[in-house]
Order: sequence, then structure tokens, then C-alpha cells
Amino acid sequence: MRPKEFVYHRARDLDHALALLAEHGEEARPISGGQSLVPMMNLRLARPDHLVDVNDLGLDEIREEAGALHVGAMVRHERYLTDPLIRRHLPALLEAVHWIGHPTIRRNGTLGGSLCHADPTAELPAMAVLHGARIVLASTAGRREVAACDFFKGAYMTDVQPGEMLVSVIFPCPQGAHSGAFEELGERLGDFAMGSFGVVLEHEGGVIRRAATVCGGAKMTPIRLPEIEAALQGQTLAGLDAAALGDRVTGLIAPAGDFQVSAEYRRALIGELAGRALQRARDIALNAQP
Amino acid sequence: MKAETPRQIGARVLRLEDPRLLSGRARYIDDIRPANCLHLKFVRAQVAHARLLDVDTSMLADLEPAVTVFTGKDIGKLSMKSHQDYPEMQYAEQPLLAQGRVRFVGEPIAAVLAEDAYLAEDAAEMVFADFDFLDPVTTMEQALDPAVQPLFDHWKNNTWVERQMKGGDLQAARAAAAHVIRRTYTNQRHTGVPMEGRGVVAEYDPGQRFLTVWSSTQMPHLVRTYIAEELGLPESRIRVIAPDVGGGFGVKGQVFGEEVLVAWCAIQTGRPVKWIEDRRENLMASIHARDHRHTLEAYVSAEGRLLGLKADITVDIGAYSTYPFSAAGESGMAAKVMPGPYDFQAYEATFRSLATNKCPNGTYRGVARPSAVFSQERLMDDIAREIGMDPIAFRLKNIIRTFPYRNVLGFSYDPGSYVESLEKTRELLAPDFARASATAGDPNRRIGVGIACFIEQTAHGTPDFTRRRVPIETGYIAARLEVMTDGHVLIDLGLQNHGQGLETTMAQVASDALGITPDRIYVRHGDTSAPYSVGTWGSRGGPLGGGAVHLAATEIAGKMRAIAAHLLQAPVGSVQLGDNKAFVSDQPDRFVDLAYVARSALRNVDRLPEGMAPGLAAEASVDGPKDGSYSNAVHAAVVDIDLRTGKLKLLRYVVVEDCGTILNPLVVDGQVRGGVVQGIGSALWEHFVYDAEGQPLTTSFADYLMPQAPEIPMIEVHHFETPTSLTPLGAKGLGEGGAIGPPAAIANAVTHALDIGVTGTPLTASVLWHLAKTAREGG
Repeated sequence: MRPKEFVYHRARDLDHALALLAEHGEEARPISGGQSLVPMMNLRLARPDHLVDVNDLGLDEIREEAGALHVGAMVRHERYLTDPLIRRHLPALLEAVHWIGHPTIRRNGTLGGSLCHADPTAELPAMAVLHGARIVLASTAGRREVAACDFFKGAYMTDVQPGEMLVSVIFPCPQGAHSGAFEELGERLGDFAMGSFGVVLEHEGGVIRRAATVCGGAKMTPIRLPEIEAALQGQTLAGLDAAALGDRVTGLIAPAGDFQVSAEYRRALIGELAGRALQRARDIALNAQP
Repeated sequence: MKAETPRQIGARVLRLEDPRLLSGRARYIDDIRPANCLHLKFVRAQVAHARLLDVDTSMLADLEPAVTVFTGKDIGKLSMKSHQDYPEMQYAEQPLLAQGRVRFVGEPIAAVLAEDAYLAEDAAEMVFADFDFLDPVTTMEQALDPAVQPLFDHWKNNTWVERQMKGGDLQAARAAAAHVIRRTYTNQRHTGVPMEGRGVVAEYDPGQRFLTVWSSTQMPHLVRTYIAEELGLPESRIRVIAPDVGGGFGVKGQVFGEEVLVAWCAIQTGRPVKWIEDRRENLMASIHARDHRHTLEAYVSAEGRLLGLKADITVDIGAYSTYPFSAAGESGMAAKVMPGPYDFQAYEATFRSLATNKCPNGTYRGVARPSAVFSQERLMDDIAREIGMDPIAFRLKNIIRTFPYRNVLGFSYDPGSYVESLEKTRELLAPDFARASATAGDPNRRIGVGIACFIEQTAHGTPDFTRRRVPIETGYIAARLEVMTDGHVLIDLGLQNHGQGLETTMAQVASDALGITPDRIYVRHGDTSAPYSVGTWGSRGGPLGGGAVHLAATEIAGKMRAIAAHLLQAPVGSVQLGDNKAFVSDQPDRFVDLAYVARSALRNVDRLPEGMAPGLAAEASVDGPKDGSYSNAVHAAVVDIDLRTGKLKLLRYVVVEDCGTILNPLVVDGQVRGGVVQGIGSALWEHFVYDAEGQPLTTSFADYLMPQAPEIPMIEVHHFETPTSLTPLGAKGLGEGGAIGPPAAIANAVTHALDIGVTGTPLTASVLWHLAKTAREGG
């Protein structure tokens, strides 16, 4: 459980980091919190020749701009728990963060690290998909933005190209009155989720104007459920039958089983979590009504 | 002056070792850093079953001399041999490095030694084995199939051993029965996982021809004897030291091939050699445990009396027989203890140990008893359900009430508090039964209450091991005490303390006998410099080790009283010891410091009575009674199950236990709670899973799920104290009991909650959801 030999670079600033990544291409990996990469290196599942330490780059702002939150790649998970912008605009994300690992992981892990690691049931990738976030990638050639739903290519696979680094994520803020909820279950607190479900409801006058949903554990990447979102749109909050929609979720997904969790169970679990998340988002919205 | 020292035995003394352990001053195996040390990395088999045609180390040639490698070709006949002397048993050895065949993923194939641990790991990746693949044996069914090729060329099938135990007239019991209840129960493969894995450091001094071995072990003397015999060295020139050991749980209560091989490598290379097990090795190739399947058939009278029991016990032992408890130990223990705390006199057990291409199965806290108690106590609930009795009432009807009790196999149980513990538990749980009733029929959520009532044979000694014919052979524990010139005491204890609190409890025991306060008593342990003993395991340290310390201390106390009587010019009979002084009863002014007494015994011997020999040292040993001494306990779990997600929450966990004389209540409670947490892991999560190719799927803590604090409820511990006459202090063993009850208690609680008989563990959310679904659908 010792990594293979690698060269460690401490980047002074973003340009330096991008130059190092450009120079070493596929052989280089940025490292910040190291919560996933270091264990994978110790198990020799990841074998980078070069590590580019990006801890000195800053990139840790959370700012509001043009109806969106711009969150720096280096923002550590525990920051969300006390950030007023997150509390106001991304309540589902705030809930999801509580489910990320353990305090040490939340203290060290970063947004960029979590998204680029792309664990199939990780919380922050699910939140990026839920909110239709745009992911900003930088390289010496410039910057590009990728929609979250195109960013995740499979389990532990993303659209990040050699020489590129995730620098920030743009989360569009839900518009008008809104509520959000996130439900997850693992065997133990802090475990990888067996399934998860997140929802955002934008509503006006007791009617859902627009809804977004995300489902973790159904596929190798987080997925939106457009059928459920369409069913929610135009519904009254009071008339929302969350349990029935949860059952509908069950009908829309076909998750895989593994040696710990049967496919049948995972499917029912996600449906149940969907019902609970929808119920809570509805209740929160109703309670906030004047 | 009255004896001012409060009685130490039974007092809530904070652990004397904790300041060291909690402030980072402990020295574990990886802290042993000899100069000029070579680091060893094992190349381990990545396939479960194959003929080993060749091990290619040619790529390491470029790295020499910085890297040295040994393979099976280099080690001659060095092997692990652990044979239980049963005529039916098939014999097999494990070469220290594989020769001819590999039999499980993780079996050592080569040892790579390098100047640093990183280089060793890089070099190990450059060793390649050439295999001719064989079909792996990965299930009990395959192991029992006569068409499947045996794991060893000279074997006739894949059964290590199959034997029977019986007592009484089972035919008559069956004939008299109004109910015959037959069930099959299983416990999954899992193990004790210490925070610190294994590790060995060895150094050979060619001038003295002296070998020093440090190992994270529970049994230094047995390691020494095995190394001496296998390497042909005089035992007088070997010292084995267990430094601070970061958890053992019985898993480090075996002699491992790695221990012998690292010592051999140190002699071969003339350099100190160090091997520190990593977590992946620990989970796939250290030692596994449990993996039982029991089919039980109970014969019950119309009035609800248990008349007889038939048991068919199968254990998957894996690829090799571990030393010293052997491949027959686990299944034999299950057969032996299955009758439990119940009064019936007809029993017949068939037990067998199977060989499969999996990690060897060895001892883990409880040793077979968690599985036996799981089956026994699940069966008691299933019988009660079937004949329509309350489970506790059914147990009370069948529980043993008179002592000593001679059980169906002839074992004698010393007195305990079986009935009292059950009644106390019933009283404690009354509100929980009410809570459970309130959720009966609830479509979303159920509360259930379950108990496990059991006894635990502790303080096993020589008679028990000779009867079982295991290589351990003996069971006494010895201690040597020495009072120094300043009145401080050194105890050289033949035990090894890896969490038992022995540095505290043994000081308490010595303190009461010597009148010397515990702060002046140093307990040295885990070192073959202490008198020969078989180590710490099997719930024996308190009753036997404590007994040995008590006897040796009592002998020294007698001599100190004689010296003090001479110095005080008082009759010996009037001299008492306490608070580091010897004083004359009822005359507080007439005293002498024990430091002065000690100095008189060792330095100023002119002050000794005429003809008395100098010195203040004594050695004693205590062996286990013929059938051991039986602790008893009732565990109770209250579970809350979310039927729609399968999520189980433990609302309450209660232990009512009796381990005889309590040496230190804090230590007893700590031992019980630690054991219960491990037992909760057994019940709910911990599982080594292999696929059909024999590949382990659970080789990191991401997949092998240990209990963690958020899921563990407050564990209430209540005590009865029935001292035994079979050990010097009245103490029975208690180290393992905590881990024995939880799988049964939790499974019974789930059975109660879901109204469906649970047949196995682990009870993960997925399993519970399916159980709830089956119950709902009337399955």
C-alpha cells in the first residue's frame, strides 16, 4: 500500500499549474485534498508520474453573479455548511453535503476533486447534474465550459482532457420561491450511497413552476428524470402525491445490483428515497408559503 | 494502624496503561526500527487455485544488490504444520512460500527484500508467477462434492475432518417428542480486524548466535518454540517480544508462517528484516473466521421441554490448517458448546471442516461460539414461535437451575446466575416489549426485541487441550514477581496485553496480596523473558494469569511478613501489610516501610532473621480446571427497522453478565462493550465475499464494513457476581463474551420485528428489505 514513485510539483499559481499539466499531459494529476487520489495511489490503482499540488492556487471563492453561484474548484466541502449563499440558493446541495463521508473528508476534500473523481454515487456530482451546472475547465489553450450532464462519462470517467484542470463550477440559482431536498442511504453513516435522490422545486402561488431531479445509484453517473420533472411541472404543491411519484421513479430506473445490494432492492430504495425527498421539498415549500 | 489501602480487587481503578496508549507513547511493531534493516514485501498469489510452474524473478536482476528475493525453491521444507491428532483427519502443510500449488488469493509466493519499503513494493511488482490454472473450490457444496479434485494431491476429498460427539439417547428423545423442529442457520465469513495489522521484525546476532524477533502477536512463547523447532535453533538463543499490540482479537493468537519466514530471512541475509502487513494483506490473507452452517433438529415435549438435539455442523476452513488450533478446532468447538445453558440429556453432533480455496479460517473472539450461540438461540426462538410460547418463558422452562451441572457431553458447569440473568433481562426489557407491540402491523416501521442467553467456557486449561488433541497441548499461565530494593515490584507476566487492561488488573491483584500500591507495580508482558506461557487468548488472562500473580505475590508477602516481624520484634501472625508498610495489628505506631523490608532482603541482608535466604521473588503458575469455568450472560437487542428501506437502527443494547469475581468493573465493562461492538459488526455488516473464481471482493474498508460509532447505541452492562471455586480469585473469563451474543440477539430482534425467522447473517439493509418483503408476502 505504497504509491509508485512520482514527481511532486507545487504549483505557484494557476498558470504554473496549467503549464505543468500541459508539460506532463496524461502522466500528471492535480492534487488538492487527496481524499480519493491518495488511497487510489496507495492501492496503485492510480499511478500518476507527476502530481501537481494546486493548494496554493486560491480558487476558493463562492460568489453570486448573474443569477448563478460560481464555486471555485478548491472550495472544501465543509465550507458549504456555513455559507449564506449556499443556504439561500442551493438548499438541496446543503443537505447533500451532510452525507459526504466523514468530517475529515469534508474538511479536506474539494469540489474539483470530487467532480473529477466522479464516483457514481457521490453527492457533489449529483448536485452538479441536479442544478444543470456548467463546469469550467482551463488549460494553457484557454477555457471551456461543459454542461454537467456531458461532463460525467461513466464511473470514474469525465470529460477532462490531458492538460486540463477543473477551475470552477457555475451553479444556476433556482429562480423565485424554491425548495430543495436530498435523501440518501448507505449501510453506515458516511458510506458510499446505495442510492440517492435530490430535487429542486421552483414554485409560485402554490404551483410548481419548474422542477429538477437527480438520481444517484441508478446508473454509473447521476441522472436527471425528465418524466418526473414534467409530471411535477404545473402541479399544485398541496396536491403533490410524493409516494406515487416515488413509485413512478421505480418504474423508470433499472439499477444494477452488486455483491452487497440486490438490483431489486436498489431500485425500490431509490423510489422510496425519491418519494421522501419530494415529500420534504413539498412540505418545505408549503411551510414557506405566506 | 489499620490497613489503609483500600482493597484493589473489585475497585474501579483507571487503567494504568492508558496514559501511554492515549498520548502516543506506545511502541507498536512499526516503531521497532533496527539500523541497517531490510524491508520485506510478499508477492502473493492473485489466483485462488493453480499449479505453480515457475516464479520468474529475472527482472529483479537489474536491481541487485539493493534487492534480494526468496521463493519456494529457496526455503527447503520450511512450513506451517498444524495437525490435530484425530485418526480421521487429513494432513497438510503450508510451505512458508508456495511450492507446487497455490491454494488461495493472498498465499505468499515470494519474499522480496529491499533497502526501503517503497523499493520492496516496486520490486514485488516485477515478480511473475507462471500458473497452470485449476478449478477453484469456493463453496461448501463444491467442497462436499466427491467429483471435485482435492486441494492436496494425497487427499481423498476436501474434508479436513468429520467426527461425531454424542451423549444420551437421542432415539428415545425423538420418540418422546411432540414437536420436531428442524432449521438451518449460517454465519458469514468475517474476522476480527485490529487497527494494527500483523508485523514482524527479526534480527540475528551471529556473535551471540542469538535471534531476536519482534512480532505483533498474542503468544510470544509459542512463536519462539515454533521458530526454534522449524529453524533448528536452540530455544535459549531466541527471544520473542510483542511490543504494544494494536488489537489482537484472537486473530493474532496463531503462529504465522510470516513470523518464521522473516526470522529465516534475517539469518540468511545477516541483516535485520522487517515486514509490516498492509490492510489489503490483512483483509485477504491474515486470518478469516466463522463461515459456519448448522442444521439443527430439536425434539420438544408437549409441555415445551427440550428433550434432545441433533446437530450437523459444517465450517469452511479454507486452504490451510492454522497453528495451534488447527483446521478441526472451529467445527469441534461448535459441536462441543452447542448444548449451551439448557437442561437436556440427549445430543448428537456431526461436525466437519472443509477445505476451500479461501484464506485459512482461525480463531477470532468467541471462537465458534458466536456461531453456535446464533444457531442455538435462533432455534430457541423458532421453537417458541412454533409451539406458541413466549421466548423467555420457554428458555426459563429449559434453563439449567442446579449446579454443578453435568451436561450431556459430560462437561461440568460450575455455578452461575442463569435464571437470575434471564429474569433480570425480562424486567429491564418490559418497556421495549411494549414499544414493539405498538408497532406490530405497522406498514412502515417495526420495533423488535431479541435476546441471546448463553454460557461461555472460559479458563480452559491443559486437560481441555489434551482432550481435544490440538497442538496447543497446554494451558497454564505463569508469572514471576520480584520486589526490588526500593519496594517497587516487577511482574514478568506470561500474558500479552493487547487491550485487556492486564497492566492494571494484575497490579491490582498483586497490590492486595503485597500491601504495595499499584503505582509501585510494573507489569512487563509480551516477552519470552517472562516464564513460559501460551499467551493471551481464550478468556484466560484474568482467572489464570490473575491467579498466578496472586499465588506468587502471596508467597512473597509471607516472606515480607517474616522479615518485618523480625525487624519489629513482633509475632509473625500479628504483622499485616498495607499502604507500602508492614505493621503490627492494632498498634499503628509499630510499622516498617516495605522498602526497608525489601532492602533488608536484597542488600542489607545482615538484618534478616538467622538462616533466611536473601531475595524477594517468586514464580507461580495456574492451569485451567478440568472443564474450565463457565461465565454466563444474556444479551438483548432492541431494533427499529424501516420496512421501506431496510435500514435497521439499534435502539438499545443490554448485557446482563456474570464473570465471577470482578477484578475491575471498568475493565469488565470495557471488555464487554468492545466485544458487543464487534458482535454488532458480525450481525450487520462484516463479510468477506469471494466470487466464483475465488477472488476476494472485500479487500479494503470501502467494501469490508466495520461497525462505526454512529451506528452503535449506548451499551448497558449489568452484573451478577457468582465467584467460582475453580480459580484462585473466583474470577471467570470474560474477554470474549461480549462478541458472542450480538448476532443471535439482533437476529432474534429482527425475527420479532418482522415476524419471520432469520436464518443467517449479515443482516444488511438489502437483506432486511428482502426479509420484510417476504414476510409481507407471506413467504
